[in-house]
Amino acid sequence: MLPSYYEFYNPVKIISGSKALDNIPYELELLNAKRPLVVTDKGVENAGLMKVFLDSFKNSGIEIGGIYSDVPPDSSNSVVKAIAKIYREKECDSIIAVGGGSPIDTAKGVNILVTENSNDLMEFEGADRLKKPLKPFIVVPTTAGTGSEATLVAVIYNEEKNVKMEFISGYLLPNLAVIDPRMTETMPPKITAATGMDALTHAVEAFTCLQKNPISDAYAFSAIKIISHNILNAVKNGKDQKARLNMANAATMAGIAFSNSMVGAVHALGHSAGAVAKVPHGVAMSVFLPHGLEYNLEKIKDSLGELLLALSGPEIFAATPKEKRALKFIEDLRRLQKQLFDEASLPMTLKDAGVTEDMLGTIATKAINDGALMMNPEEMSHEDAMKVLKKAF
Amino acid sequence: MSSIKSYKPGRKWFKTIVCKVVMVILGRAFQVFSRHDHEIKNEIAAWPEGFTLELNVLPFGPRLLILKEDGKIRTVGEIDEKPELSVNFKNIESAFLILTPLMGVPRGFAEHRFIVIGDVAKAMAFTRCLNRILAYLYPDFLCRNLMRRIPEINFMKRMSKRLYFYTIGIVTGS
Ligand SMILES: NC(=O)c1ccc[n+]([C@@H]2O[C@H](COP(=O)([O-])OP(=O)(O)OC[C@H]3O[C@@H](n4cnc5c(N)ncnc54)[C@H](O)[C@@H]3O)[C@@H](O)[C@H]2O)c1
Ligand SMILES: [Fe+2]
Repeated sequence: MLPSYYEFYNPVKIISGSKALDNIPYELELLNAKRPLVVTDKGVENAGLMKVFLDSFKNSGIEIGGIYSDVPPDSSNSVVKAIAKIYREKECDSIIAVGGGSPIDTAKGVNILVTENSNDLMEFEGADRLKKPLKPFIVVPTTAGTGSEATLVAVIYNEEKNVKMEFISGYLLPNLAVIDPRMTETMPPKITAATGMDALTHAVEAFTCLQKNPISDAYAFSAIKIISHNILNAVKNGKDQKARLNMANAATMAGIAFSNSMVGAVHALGHSAGAVAKVPHGVAMSVFLPHGLEYNLEKIKDSLGELLLALSGPEIFAATPKEKRALKFIEDLRRLQKQLFDEASLPMTLKDAGVTEDMLGTIATKAINDGALMMNPEEMSHEDAMKVLKKAF
Repeated sequence: MSSIKSYKPGRKWFKTIVCKVVMVILGRAFQVFSRHDHEIKNEIAAWPEGFTLELNVLPFGPRLLILKEDGKIRTVGEIDEKPELSVNFKNIESAFLILTPLMGVPRGFAEHRFIVIGDVAKAMAFTRCLNRILAYLYPDFLCRNLMRRIPEINFMKRMSKRLYFYTIGIVTGS
């Protein structure tokens, strides 16, 4: 069913496949850029990915202006400022982020500062505050999860004010996303499982929340199908390039989906558990997803029922009566959760994820004030949030 | 090519006036119910003194400005600084839809009909207040279309406050 009105925007060029990295110099040329600054983190560097990345520039004539490899987990204001300074000193003209959501969001913040020639990100916080295109920006994702390579959002922590700043603008979308299976094959099983569940959550929430539209639905549906076929293979056998490439593509597709149909309660709860108890984002998504869907069940029966086809395949879909499909989706999701626990020790409860019972009240308060709740199909009060949290504990 | 004229679009006065009137009523209602409803009082207690909030229609208005002063909500004409929380409707048609009230806030947000500038947590609190205000102002058959769940307010309380608002509160603002 068509919504009475919707918007969809995704100008990101996607190149995907074996040795996709080697096309970056050519793509830089198309963007009229010659001296990129590379933003990455230690984990990515230690996994040997920087070497693969840099080797792809051999024989290209492009000079890398600088490499910043100290991005902390979750992006921070001071790091963004420090990198912007390097960008200016090294006279770079473009940015390449190599990493998961943390380096990607950091690079988005840097791009705002260097384009606007500013030192204060606060000026640009919120929706649609940017009024002109940013510097050429390329993303090489090394996790298959956040989909940040295809989203118009960046989340950056402001340590002076102790708040999370959210930036939303079409200009934050990269010019190019490069999906090369070599870049995700070094991910350890647990991170593979957690980031994969983040991608799955993006797709499921995009498909079941209030902003859903036919185009985001198409991306979300396909992403779920691909993830359900590949996540266990990618976790069990990291070197399986086919599974890796599939997962990376699905994460990007899920990113496109939720960039155009915002996520809901599962993310609101997950953001809050992350802020209060430092639960990694993907782990929180995996724990909360079945509970969030159960909470929304009355409002999402039809759309979730449709997704059973993507998650469990045509035989199970056809064998399940229409009114039971949504519940069956949650049941099969729980089975997947259990398999990821067995294979990669991915926590299934908040307790296993390091949350203590006395934190639940604070998490609930944060969750009902999280913007993601705005697009959740069901209203959620503090009391409701507590109920869900207790179940997930 | 001399016949090509430039075109200067006019204004939609009727919808502008309707939006202005609804804004005035909403502002009054927020002011009154922030004194009469505990939940709204609690939400507002978390806002800093001197906090300002605006509803605005781009680009020419109308505009509603709200200020927290002495722990209470008050509508004001003008302020010097930029409001801390702004809800900007993208155009008069979108404002008209939401204010009249043909469309609820969640649906309006889903349809990109307004842009929020400022602290998201306060915007969420404001939406919760708005749900309660709308529940006082409008009967259930209208509310069902505007929100995901109608706030639970004792029936007698809801009716008597509604009566109070439309007879006395709207005039005295307290
Ligand atoms: N902008 C968006 O749309 C969006 C959406 C969701 C989340 N996020 C943000 O993304 C962040 C989380 O991103 P993430 O889940 O990708 O994690 P991450 O980028 O923080 O990476 C997690 C860990 O995995 C390591 N790693 C990454 N790739 C690796 C590889 N190929 N091999 C070995 N190790 C590797 C990293 O070094 C790091 O230690 C959060 O800060 C979150 O706020 C952004
Ligand atoms: Fe996410």
